[in-house]
Amino acid sequence: MLRTLLIAKRDYLQMVQSKAYVVGLILLPLLFGGGFFVLPLANRGGPKDLRVAVLDGTGVAGAAVIQSAQEMNRRARSDTTFGSPSAPRYSFEEVKPESDLAAQLLSLSDRVRSGELSVVVEISPEALQPPSHPKGPLARYYSNSGGIVDQQNFWVPAAVNNGLRRVRLTQLGVDPARVPGVLDDIGVVSMDLVSKNPATGNVVQGRKKSPIQTGAVPFFLVFLLYIIAIFGSAPNLGAVAQDKMQRVYEMLLSSASSFELMMGKVLAAVGASLTSSTVYIIGGLLALAGMATFGLAPLHLIPWFFVYVIADVFMLASLGVALGSACATPQDAQQFAFLLILPLMIPMFVLAPVMQQPNGGLAVVMSFIPPFTPIVMLLRQSMPAGVPWWQPWVSLVGIAVWATATIWVAARIFRIGILSQGKTPQIGELAKWVLRD
Amino acid sequence: MSAVEIDQVTKSFDTVTAVDRLSLSVPEGSVYGFIGPNGSGKSTTMRMIANIFYPDSGTIRVFGQERSGTRSGQIGYLPEERGLYRKMRVRPLLEFYGELRGGRKVGAEVDAWLDRLGLSNRASDKVETLSKGMSQKVQFIACVVPEPQLLILDEPFTGLDPVSADSIRGAILEMRKRGCTIILSTHDMGVAESLCDSILMIFRGKKVLDGTLDAIQSSYGSDTIRVEVEGGLASLENLPGIERIKDLGQVQELRMAGGCDPQRVLQTLVSRTRVITFSVVKPSLHDIFVRIAGPQPEEMAVA
Repeated sequence: MLRTLLIAKRDYLQMVQSKAYVVGLILLPLLFGGGFFVLPLANRGGPKDLRVAVLDGTGVAGAAVIQSAQEMNRRARSDTTFGSPSAPRYSFEEVKPESDLAAQLLSLSDRVRSGELSVVVEISPEALQPPSHPKGPLARYYSNSGGIVDQQNFWVPAAVNNGLRRVRLTQLGVDPARVPGVLDDIGVVSMDLVSKNPATGNVVQGRKKSPIQTGAVPFFLVFLLYIIAIFGSAPNLGAVAQDKMQRVYEMLLSSASSFELMMGKVLAAVGASLTSSTVYIIGGLLALAGMATFGLAPLHLIPWFFVYVIADVFMLASLGVALGSACATPQDAQQFAFLLILPLMIPMFVLAPVMQQPNGGLAVVMSFIPPFTPIVMLLRQSMPAGVPWWQPWVSLVGIAVWATATIWVAARIFRIGILSQGKTPQIGELAKWVLRD
Repeated sequence: MSAVEIDQVTKSFDTVTAVDRLSLSVPEGSVYGFIGPNGSGKSTTMRMIANIFYPDSGTIRVFGQERSGTRSGQIGYLPEERGLYRKMRVRPLLEFYGELRGGRKVGAEVDAWLDRLGLSNRASDKVETLSKGMSQKVQFIACVVPEPQLLILDEPFTGLDPVSADSIRGAILEMRKRGCTIILSTHDMGVAESLCDSILMIFRGKKVLDGTLDAIQSSYGSDTIRVEVEGGLASLENLPGIERIKDLGQVQELRMAGGCDPQRVLQTLVSRTRVITFSVVKPSLHDIFVRIAGPQPEEMAVA
């Protein structure tokens, strides 16, 4: 045990004192939080004014739609959280439909391409009195923007619908201006479930959910775990192969067994990962406290976060050390990198469905598959719905069994790999090493 | 008492038998030399003694104890393929190796050895900045701190300049004086002859020689004639009873076949040419090595 700790101490100090570790430690939050800084910088001096064309097929709704859009734009521009309005100022022009609608739309699209317009909103003649089975969309908009986050999505549908409602009310003889708030939206707040305090028996009102709590916090925690697990385990591949190439290990093996050597390296990786985790968690909490939003911090999850970091790095670093030991050169080690990253990548592909239904079948099953448990279970735990209390504990048993099996396999590869010479073995050959007496 | 007892040890790698039913006994407090051609099984045997490899069969006892999988601070091991953590500084590196093997702080011993081998002024330098010779000295210190009872050195003089080699040789002799048993392998027969109390030769995994230099040479008898004659090699052709001639330049060594009378050889030579020197000697270790491991290109078979 003493020898394992000595090796772990040496490797840990070498790791955390390396330039790569220090640069990575600083770079990660910059990359992660970069968007928050880049956005205001990119918008410095205020966003560019944008012009919108409204092609009104109804002949009567154009002005109402423009009025609604202008009111929404005014409200959006009154938000000066970052010092100046973050929303652009929209100006509008109403366009009458021509006989050749296709040619007119082409002409308007060309104006968007040239930058003269930003959006063209087309309202169908049937939009005011929609048939029960419309042949196509009753309103569309054309723009060059888009992607996953399309700013137009946030206001065009609401502005068009609001404008149409305004016209319909007028046609029914109701002047919307005389009924204050008739077209105003009211806020609908998402809440946690009401529960009962088991100690006092009192009914506890559910807390208001915030987008940060339901989306940003879980995503941040999982992303942090993912990055730390990769940074904690993957470098072992190349580093062990490098040391092997430089003939470092034979002398060490006369003083320590291959298992002690491997476990020392794994513990060093776990230690380095815990160090970076601690730095980031403390940094995150201080940042939240600085923004007076400390209440958003999922304090109850922090111990679990560290447990999952240890579990993930333990499982992956032992494999990384073993695979690295089998490689003749650090370059050869890269071919095994996918084996390490796979258990982290697969859960990342199911983040969206798990976030939508954290207690759905897929989420529950994935969170009990040991290599995926740390990321998926942490994600489920960090969602407002939470998980039944016993699930994380049971999943820990699975992790312990899996980690033991991983270390057993890794140790059997390592004991042969560390003294092997010649070309790097293929996966099939590694399997034979595992089974060899 | 024997420091190391090896009994009928065999070790194979896939289809290759590296060590084949090897038995040997290393007297405590002696310098025991392993010689043999490349790939003969010397390093494998040393690795088994150091517990890096485990024998397929047979037993290895170190100071009377059979060791299987346990590491001991009693053994210092210098592998043939040198390697150190290049980014570490010399002193912390040596303290790490020493503490790993000995399980205790070794700062004072490290300083003493750095001073002894003239490396005190490089103690704070990174290993990657050292010359090859200095690195080898550092690695030597790493296996003698803390002081082992058994020191296993695989090719300790390879790549060293004469001055560095002398300092390592002096350190080895000092270790023996303190009671340490030393097993070393070498391809330099001069080193084996001058430094080793006992010599073991392994050839194709099997023991072919084992004993003191004198005993080994005596077992071959005085079957070698060293001559210096006018006319050199040309005057030595077709000598009766001579089975091989080795040309050393100014001097030639003649190996006599069994039953050959050196007086008759001398008479024949005198009748052919002027003999400058003529002596009947025991074969050198080099000669014995070559006889076992195969003919060398410079040798000329005449028998």
